[in-house]
Amino acid sequence: MATNATGPQTGVTLYSFTNEWLTRQFEVDTLLAEVAKRGLGPNIEIIGFQQFKEFPDVSDEYAEKFKELIAANGLNPVSCAINSDRFLKPGQQPIEDAALVEYHKRQLRSAKKMGFSLVRYQFALPVHLLPEIAPYAEELDIRMGVEVHAPMWAGHPAVQAYGEMYDKLDTPYLGWIPDFGGTASRIPESMLDAARAKGASEDLLDKLKEVWLEGGMSHEKAGRLREWGMAHGHAPLHIQAACLAFFILSNHDPKSWAALVDRTIHIHGKFYGVSEDLVEEAIDYDTILPLFKDGGFTGTMVSEWEGHAYDTRDAFEQVRRHQAMARRIWGN
Amino acid sequence: MLPVERVIGEEGLAQSADGLKLAIRLPWYRSLPFSVVEVASLAIDGAAVDLSDALIEYDGQTWPLAENGEKVDTFWFVRDSAFLVLPSQSAATGSDLEVSLNLFVSPPYIPGMKRTNPQTSTLTVAA
Repeated sequence: MATNATGPQTGVTLYSFTNEWLTRQFEVDTLLAEVAKRGLGPNIEIIGFQQFKEFPDVSDEYAEKFKELIAANGLNPVSCAINSDRFLKPGQQPIEDAALVEYHKRQLRSAKKMGFSLVRYQFALPVHLLPEIAPYAEELDIRMGVEVHAPMWAGHPAVQAYGEMYDKLDTPYLGWIPDFGGTASRIPESMLDAARAKGASEDLLDKLKEVWLEGGMSHEKAGRLREWGMAHGHAPLHIQAACLAFFILSNHDPKSWAALVDRTIHIHGKFYGVSEDLVEEAIDYDTILPLFKDGGFTGTMVSEWEGHAYDTRDAFEQVRRHQAMARRIWGN
Repeated sequence: MLPVERVIGEEGLAQSADGLKLAIRLPWYRSLPFSVVEVASLAIDGAAVDLSDALIEYDGQTWPLAENGEKVDTFWFVRDSAFLVLPSQSAATGSDLEVSLNLFVSPPYIPGMKRTNPQTSTLTVAA
């Protein structure tokens, strides 16, 4: 039974600063220093393929340098995000299972070497390969949490299939990483505004809101909107801007996370915009976060600001507000 | 233009001994193998450029653009510009050219997703 003595912790994924990173405003060292200076750590998550040029095979030399940087900034490297790149040749067959297993092992080794205590992995890894990878994670002593990302939520068939395999393998090295995008209550107004700024018209956005609430798989719904948009004379780029909503948000029951709390090892706190009075635009944190605290979760929630996918608001301020919101709800 | 939509690199366009050289950026949030990136089209001052002899130059290596689809182990670090080298093209240094580039990106963990990333900019040819 987990102790509730310390409660859930906050932190940040450097993915929140994607725009600052891509425009070369920061290097790895200066970004870590900025996060530390602003008090947004100490817990951090990093996407291996975003921040580390040597990924998926990080050298001993780089790993040492990275650990020194982390220590110098007083940070705690909790989570390293890894990827299941199965479709390396678009339109062709996915890579062989053995190659995909090895691809995960390479990333696990790099994450461990750099001092991360867990990796965030993806459902793109076919569930039947878990028995080959989990023992390796156990051998390395690094936990693996699969990111439960939109369109998935606790009730999705893929999550259930993973849950059955988790029961079978019964190891503390495998767990869940809720992302919350699968249980959004609405499409963020800031995302709709960004589509408007690109020229998308109101009837396209009205249709988006309507289709977004319908049943079915995200890519099917995106296809439905694309078809409707083309038939009604909307430009492909406007349709692409509107379709973003299908790939990052869906609207299942926020309370459904309760079913995953026991095996949650880390939380990816997806958000789009937190107001000055500490309320998120699209995801109902006031309903979701208490489930984890009450369920005994004492790991870390890293703030993941994804508004950068469509606007250039100040990411540091957004992360500050998101963490303050979590402390308001969790009372710590 | 959002940083994640940028395909024309900050280093712009230059005339070199190998031909005209255009800096290109990966329009995604993370590094990807070159195999999932396709140069959909390039036009200079409104004229489509024939890419059959084009090369990719990246991190000390050069290969024909036509081989891009095989580059499954060569990762394009998301912070770096690569260069599209056009041996048959030339331009006077200091002249201004309107460049329209479109890259297709197919993220390798999202089957069926193919993003189109067009950008048009007027660039001054550097030496």
